[in-house]
Amino acid sequence: MSILSIEFLLLAAGTLIVYYLLPLKIRWIALLAGSVAFVCFSGWQSIAHLSAAALVMWTGGILLDRHKSRVLLAGLLVLDLGAMAFLKYYPSLSGAELILPVGLSYFTFQSAGYLIDVYRGKAEAQKNPLKAWLFIGYFPQLAQGPISTWKELGGLLMTGHRLEPENIVSGFQLMLWGMFKKMVIADRLAATTTALLQESETPLPGWFIAGGVILYAIRLYLDFSGGMDVIRGISRMAGIELPENFRRPFFSQSVGEYWRRWHITLGAWFRSYLLYPLTTSRAAIGLGKAASGVFGKKTGRTVPTALATLLVFLLIGIWHTANWNAVIFGAYFGIVMAASTLMEQVWKTMRTTLNLPKKGWMSPFRLVRTLLLVLLAQYFAFTPDPATGFSLLGGTFRNWNFTEFATLTTGVMEAREWIIAGAACLIVLVIDILCEKKKDVCGALARTHFWYRWPILILLILAIVTFGVYGAGFDGAAFLYTQF
Amino acid sequence: MSEMNEELREKAPVAETAVEEALTAEMERQKKARRRKLAGFAVRAACFSILTVLLLIYATYVFTPKHDYGICSMVTYYNQEPDTIDVLTIGTSLAYAGINTNVLWEEYGISAYNLCSAEQPFWVSYYTLKEALKTQHPKVILLDAKPSIYTRDYSKRGRTILSTYGIRGIENRIGATLACVEKPADAVSYLLGLPEVHNNYKKLKWSDFAFPPDNGGRGSTWKGYIESDVIERHEKPSVVWNSTKRNMNPREEEYARKIFALAQEKGIPIVLIGLPNPDYANDHMYYNALWTIAAEYGIDGVNYNDPNIRFGLRYSTDFADWQHLNVKGSVTFSRKLGKDLREWFGVPDRRGDPRYASWDECAKTWYDKYPEFESSAWEKNPLDWFPEEKLPPEGVLPLDNVSAPEAEGEKI
Repeated sequence: MSILSIEFLLLAAGTLIVYYLLPLKIRWIALLAGSVAFVCFSGWQSIAHLSAAALVMWTGGILLDRHKSRVLLAGLLVLDLGAMAFLKYYPSLSGAELILPVGLSYFTFQSAGYLIDVYRGKAEAQKNPLKAWLFIGYFPQLAQGPISTWKELGGLLMTGHRLEPENIVSGFQLMLWGMFKKMVIADRLAATTTALLQESETPLPGWFIAGGVILYAIRLYLDFSGGMDVIRGISRMAGIELPENFRRPFFSQSVGEYWRRWHITLGAWFRSYLLYPLTTSRAAIGLGKAASGVFGKKTGRTVPTALATLLVFLLIGIWHTANWNAVIFGAYFGIVMAASTLMEQVWKTMRTTLNLPKKGWMSPFRLVRTLLLVLLAQYFAFTPDPATGFSLLGGTFRNWNFTEFATLTTGVMEAREWIIAGAACLIVLVIDILCEKKKDVCGALARTHFWYRWPILILLILAIVTFGVYGAGFDGAAFLYTQF
Repeated sequence: MSEMNEELREKAPVAETAVEEALTAEMERQKKARRRKLAGFAVRAACFSILTVLLLIYATYVFTPKHDYGICSMVTYYNQEPDTIDVLTIGTSLAYAGINTNVLWEEYGISAYNLCSAEQPFWVSYYTLKEALKTQHPKVILLDAKPSIYTRDYSKRGRTILSTYGIRGIENRIGATLACVEKPADAVSYLLGLPEVHNNYKKLKWSDFAFPPDNGGRGSTWKGYIESDVIERHEKPSVVWNSTKRNMNPREEEYARKIFALAQEKGIPIVLIGLPNPDYANDHMYYNALWTIAAEYGIDGVNYNDPNIRFGLRYSTDFADWQHLNVKGSVTFSRKLGKDLREWFGVPDRRGDPRYASWDECAKTWYDKYPEFESSAWEKNPLDWFPEEKLPPEGVLPLDNVSAPEAEGEKI
């Protein structure tokens, strides 16, 4: 069930109504019922798998609370993550057909994180199995995240929230904004990616490929962040503030910052449960000492971090999908990040020597540099195999002849569609710039007198229902990140 | 000191009570304030929802195509004075292109209305008729026989379903939509409307915003006749006339029976009508089957494809395409139809009655556009409409040597 389908919106509305009708203490039951209904729509396999994962998490949590055993934790994680790995990768490797349960990665990461937190003493073991089920099966976030910790989400879900008009208004606004990004822009731009992958007799001009890759990156961002806004908006209406998953990543000054702004909760999960344990392990400390002997004290100390970063990004790449493009994607970011860690001292020296400013003209330079580095990876994000990715990458630097500009662009979409997509992108850009300047646009609108707020909201609704890509003739473009 | 303590001890319960009272009052005040806040929010939310829903309904109306898909005839139908329509036609594009309501009014004073849409199956006709009979009690219902030839179980084409968008009665709108779709879940987007029509923003014209619709420039008094102002020559029409029958699609038959039962329940005479059609060879077998079913209800019909009914129709000049009458054909045919309706059903002449002023206005608008078809002009020179063409001496072409191609459906 897509989170933009009528069924989903009705389910969310129904759950919210029941939620606020129930007494405060048992409001979580409405969320549980809504989540069960959502998973039921995805088939019995999803219910069975999610329930099995919840059972492992619940019993594992209780056992870990009593016996802080590393072996037990390792066994539980193998069971938890192993099931995900099997379901995700076995079909690709063997050609077998398996039905993937809805939200597989998200609930697996969340339950694994919970087990580690209980082991570390950062979370209390949940005694109620139904509450454990709700924690990983909470339906708005099951489709595409965010990945929350028990500390962030557990309390919010289980504590009943009073009906606050501000939450309803602000959540509704956020939901509409997400729909606008996904339906009006992201789904409209889907045609541009298809155009890049279509076989053509003559090679595509470089500008066309470059433009297509840029539009793919925009589409991916708006698709994913739009979905997150819908999810967060619905949750906010129930008083549940889910963690932010995107913070305008294209404004990043470095690749590191980009990954702190893009799919934030996934990055946080890997940092917290993999990167930090790896870099603080005895082996890493030993390696750091050994490397200090070779590269000097300052650089040597960063070697374990660089290697751990490389490994983490490889895993992030493979998490997306089991193919060589994912390995290239992960390895590329891993190398860039590792290099930036290892070269940190060199950059510092260079900055001091050349007297480069921290801000000023260096900011746009860093922004463009980061964008270029990020865009380079996109060649392997949407292409089916490395050959196509490299071929398009090579093609970008050839034939920058604009004579066929009109023919090629209108071949992808009518001029009218380009104008709509462009205008909508401009609106998103303006809002993002305002948010980047610490302006709380959503909050400000929610606080405005309804006399001014209503026309804006109604215009937004009309824009979505008119220019949104849905309904007749629309092939139901799923959220790009649902597949992961 | 001890006196002071005693005094305080005496005052303490009083102070505690005062604090408690103040706290209770504060809590009560907060409760009231919250209740007021929630009530205000509920009112604003309700107003916003109503406003949004109304705007979405209007947006659906704006985006819905307003031509032969049928929404206009239904929307405009609600503007008719109750119980003013004497002849109500339900059916397909053959009917709305063939039955010229202006001629029926101008020459016979018959108040006729075409509640038709392109490729309208009987299941849409049924719900359309149910809705139509809420406000009108016509002297006769003409039921176009064309849907009897349709072999589809459901309305795969969205435009057939779009014709139901004009129906205001929620029960008939839902009934018609559910009858059109194979799976009830598919009905949701059609019932909501916008998912099916919002892409029409690309073709939007200023006239699409006007309510009631301008009916393709025909004015708000329009009575459902849509002219086809072109000529397609048919030298040798594919017309076969015999008693062979073929089974109708079971769903078409089911709804045809429902229509017959509905008309009889309401006590309104219903007549099957076969519109002249140059490509009739296949159709006659299904028409025969429909006529047999109608006979079970004591219902009869008139098939103007019958070569024995001659009224001056010319295949060379009177058709717009392979099945629709053009303007001239509709005039010729409607003159004959008006005569028959008067003769068989005694449909009264309503000219001069102020309740029927809209028919006058509609006819005037149409004749202003087509002055050559005014009855006085017609009488002067009936064969001079297309003087450049050599017309055959007889209106109907001979039917010999015309064979029927094989049709689908089981022969009965």
